[in-house]
Amino acid sequence: MSEMAPARTYSQIVGSQFRKNKLAVISLHIIYILLFVFIFADFLANDKPIVMRYQGSTYFPVFREYGVKWFGLNWQDAFKSQQFKILEDKYEEGDWAIYPVIPYSSTEYNLQVKLQPPSRAHIFGTDELGRDVLSQMIHGARVSLLVGFVAVAIYVFIGVILGALAGFYGGLIDIIIQRMIEIMITFPRMFLIITIVAVMETQSIINIMIILGLTGWTGVARFTRGEFLKVKNEDYVVAAKALGYRDFRTIFRHVLPNTLTPVLVTATFGVAAAILIESGLSFLGFGAPPEQATWGSLLSSARDTLPTGWWLTTFPGLAIFITVTVYNLVGEGLRDALDPRLKQ
Amino acid sequence: MKKSFLIQFSILILLIIFANLGLRSLESYDDDELGNAGGIRIDLTGSETVFESSPKDMSPREGGTLVLAESAEPEHLNTYTSTSAAATRVLDYIYETLLDYDYETWRFDRPLLAESFTISEDGYTFTFKIRENVYWHDGQQLTADDVLFSIKAVLNPFVDCAPMRSSFSKVVSAHTNGQYEFVISSSETYFRNQEILGGFHIIPKHIWDPRGLLDRYSVEDLLNSTVTREEAAIKEFADAFNTHPQGRPVGEDAEPIIGSGPWVFDKWITGDYISYARNDNYWNDDPTYIEGYSEDGAYLDKVIVKVITDATARLTALKAGEIDFIPRMRAVQYFTQTNTPDFLEKFQKVSYVVPAYSYIGWNNDKPYFSDKRVRQAMTMLIDRDSYNKYVAYGLGIPTIGPFYIYGEQYNHNIERWPYDPIRAVELIEEAGWIDHDGDGIRDKDGVPFNFTFSVSAGSTSSKYMALMLKEDLRKVGIVVNIRQLEWSVYVENLRDRQFDVVSLLWIGGLESDPYQIWHSDNIGDRGSNYMGFRHAEADSLIETARFEMDKEKRNAMYFRLQEIFHEEQPYTFMFYQRDPGAYLKEFHGVKWIPIRPGYKLYSWWRNTSMAGESS
Repeated sequence: MSEMAPARTYSQIVGSQFRKNKLAVISLHIIYILLFVFIFADFLANDKPIVMRYQGSTYFPVFREYGVKWFGLNWQDAFKSQQFKILEDKYEEGDWAIYPVIPYSSTEYNLQVKLQPPSRAHIFGTDELGRDVLSQMIHGARVSLLVGFVAVAIYVFIGVILGALAGFYGGLIDIIIQRMIEIMITFPRMFLIITIVAVMETQSIINIMIILGLTGWTGVARFTRGEFLKVKNEDYVVAAKALGYRDFRTIFRHVLPNTLTPVLVTATFGVAAAILIESGLSFLGFGAPPEQATWGSLLSSARDTLPTGWWLTTFPGLAIFITVTVYNLVGEGLRDALDPRLKQ
Repeated sequence: MKKSFLIQFSILILLIIFANLGLRSLESYDDDELGNAGGIRIDLTGSETVFESSPKDMSPREGGTLVLAESAEPEHLNTYTSTSAAATRVLDYIYETLLDYDYETWRFDRPLLAESFTISEDGYTFTFKIRENVYWHDGQQLTADDVLFSIKAVLNPFVDCAPMRSSFSKVVSAHTNGQYEFVISSSETYFRNQEILGGFHIIPKHIWDPRGLLDRYSVEDLLNSTVTREEAAIKEFADAFNTHPQGRPVGEDAEPIIGSGPWVFDKWITGDYISYARNDNYWNDDPTYIEGYSEDGAYLDKVIVKVITDATARLTALKAGEIDFIPRMRAVQYFTQTNTPDFLEKFQKVSYVVPAYSYIGWNNDKPYFSDKRVRQAMTMLIDRDSYNKYVAYGLGIPTIGPFYIYGEQYNHNIERWPYDPIRAVELIEEAGWIDHDGDGIRDKDGVPFNFTFSVSAGSTSSKYMALMLKEDLRKVGIVVNIRQLEWSVYVENLRDRQFDVVSLLWIGGLESDPYQIWHSDNIGDRGSNYMGFRHAEADSLIETARFEMDKEKRNAMYFRLQEIFHEEQPYTFMFYQRDPGAYLKEFHGVKWIPIRPGYKLYSWWRNTSMAGESS
């Protein structure tokens, strides 16, 4: 590869190929935005101010919330009830607060404004308990993306290892792993997941991620196995064997890096599929616990209010649609960019 | 990627500045009064005992079909072994009882299959004189033998009807005197005896026991465990009874259920519908036959009970004209999705009270809720009025106790606990729940105030309740976990008392006996006192009141009992329910009554001539 254009590395070539696909580039930027929302959700939508001046001192309640959650800090006495909006009545001269763009948390309810259509106060409207839909969507994005990435990471890990073993060794190991794959794919995946979820004691997104991970690895395993079969008789593999490297080193240092790129492409599609399945499960009420806002559960709550509550279906539905689409487009772009036949 | 993030970050900062520049105070819209959303609100208080919601200016005519939608299908239609309300709603039209409610007074003393009845002076023995003109749907005559057989079937210990049998636990003997007299004796003068002994469905002996297996045994034999263990025929009968083809779902060829009522079983297509047709040979076809009987027999040719599990699909079917009547719809449908002039033109909306109340039950044996001050505080932390107004659309009627709100047992002198979070927090602190270790969560004796609210998976209203409570209690340093459970698991946990908090609906009667739920005898061993309510005075009141036949004295005891409930708050009593429904305006004679399910179809008739005018 490097003979053709010594100045360009492999990733540069792939990068320039990828950039030729406008749609994929736009999609990648949308993924960046989603990642941004994922990381800064608490600063985008929260009922706590980011910075506030209260009775002579300055506080950072959103940061404090992280401290309380993860580092065992406590709320200051004045903020024990965490109702910052009520504190406004006690403001003294010179007190102020800077709120996030959407000054509502995903669980904060206000019955008086329930089922409001989009307005200036609630850009995407409110649900049946008067919770802000946009805030729920922002926090729901966290669940969706987290489920997508973690589930795929789990199944890529399992799939790659099993596929590598099957492809590299062949024989009995290959037969066993192949039969395992066949048994797994005979179950319709959604039904298998629903069955497992139904038996679970507690509802949590961690369970969903693990279940999705444990049921999704077959495709990756087959893919890796195929790639291994292709590569395992290459000269460098034979050389590695001749040098007396242990199988572990041969598999993971020499063969795997050369087979991984197509797997990563399928993983991108996998993220989209996992997001869709999570939404489906939440829609059916099997997914995240009720207090956890997710796109799927928002859609589900909208079912009862249709046709009046159109904003409850439209916005989360669009969010799911856009997310799944951009992951697929990026996956396609990546696939094309990595395809050596298209390279000029 | 770095650049992209930087740009996004600056956009975020700009947005924050922009959003805060025009920082608004929370806009609260004036809640427009929902009112009755074009429907009729029926309360049946005071002297009003039956309400007719359709025009009364026309005389009824026979004919026509009514299609109504139910949300659940019964698992089978064996009247004794079934526990489903959906089955009862069908079977009440096919089978009859010895006595029934009087439609004027709502006392359970109107003779139906019995022509008359007498109670012995000591109150132990009931003698029913059976009518001589009653025939089963297959033409055979109904006699006292059928009545005796029915009670034998219930008392047979191998028949799967334990919940029903427990009401008959005080029966000591029963026999017939000739063909038309039935005598039954109880060992106690329980105030609900008349309702129980006269209120069970009579089933035909020749259908259910064609071989006469139970003929050889008396009621005393069936109550004697030595006899029932030794005699194989008793078990054999029960096995045949439990699996009898009568009322089993078998599609088109279902064996017709033979009863004596004004409707004849027609078909049961599993997963689709159950239908019943008018009994043209009904024994009681003379409307003036019994005094005080306000019904005129049945008019409709046929009633089809369609099973549509999804609420949205039910409403769609109504609007599309596939069904004529939804007895129970969602509040949100009643108030926001059926307000178009078209709908109101075509359908009549009604909300009617049924003797069922919702509550939040605190497991009194858990450390969190063992102190009554905490339970009182919990009640005061729940903004019941807002919940009723916004989530239940005002359909609830606030209640302070378990007795029927419009009944004679209800104590109207008790003031509800107010919504008062400040007082509630004081009470919680008084009870010793203070944040000792400074982690933001209240604790006592090292136990953090962290409990689980169990929610049945299908119930949106209790899910909303749990979500609101979680958010509210978080602010006072109490952690609520919400757990959604499948209904069967939910009930199992309830019986095993494996829960902290539950939210449920209790379906009662016009007059009820608190023994089953509130007496400490019924804690554990799968008894119905699931909350573990123990109170010496309450126990003795409940015991004495059961056998007090003087209504005034008995109700005085129940009034005191409600004061105890109010003080102890074993439940947070929420609301008596109004069920919202809608029916096609073509139907007349639509009457609403205070007993379950809130309506009886006997008097309904269809004015088919209206169909042309309204379209």
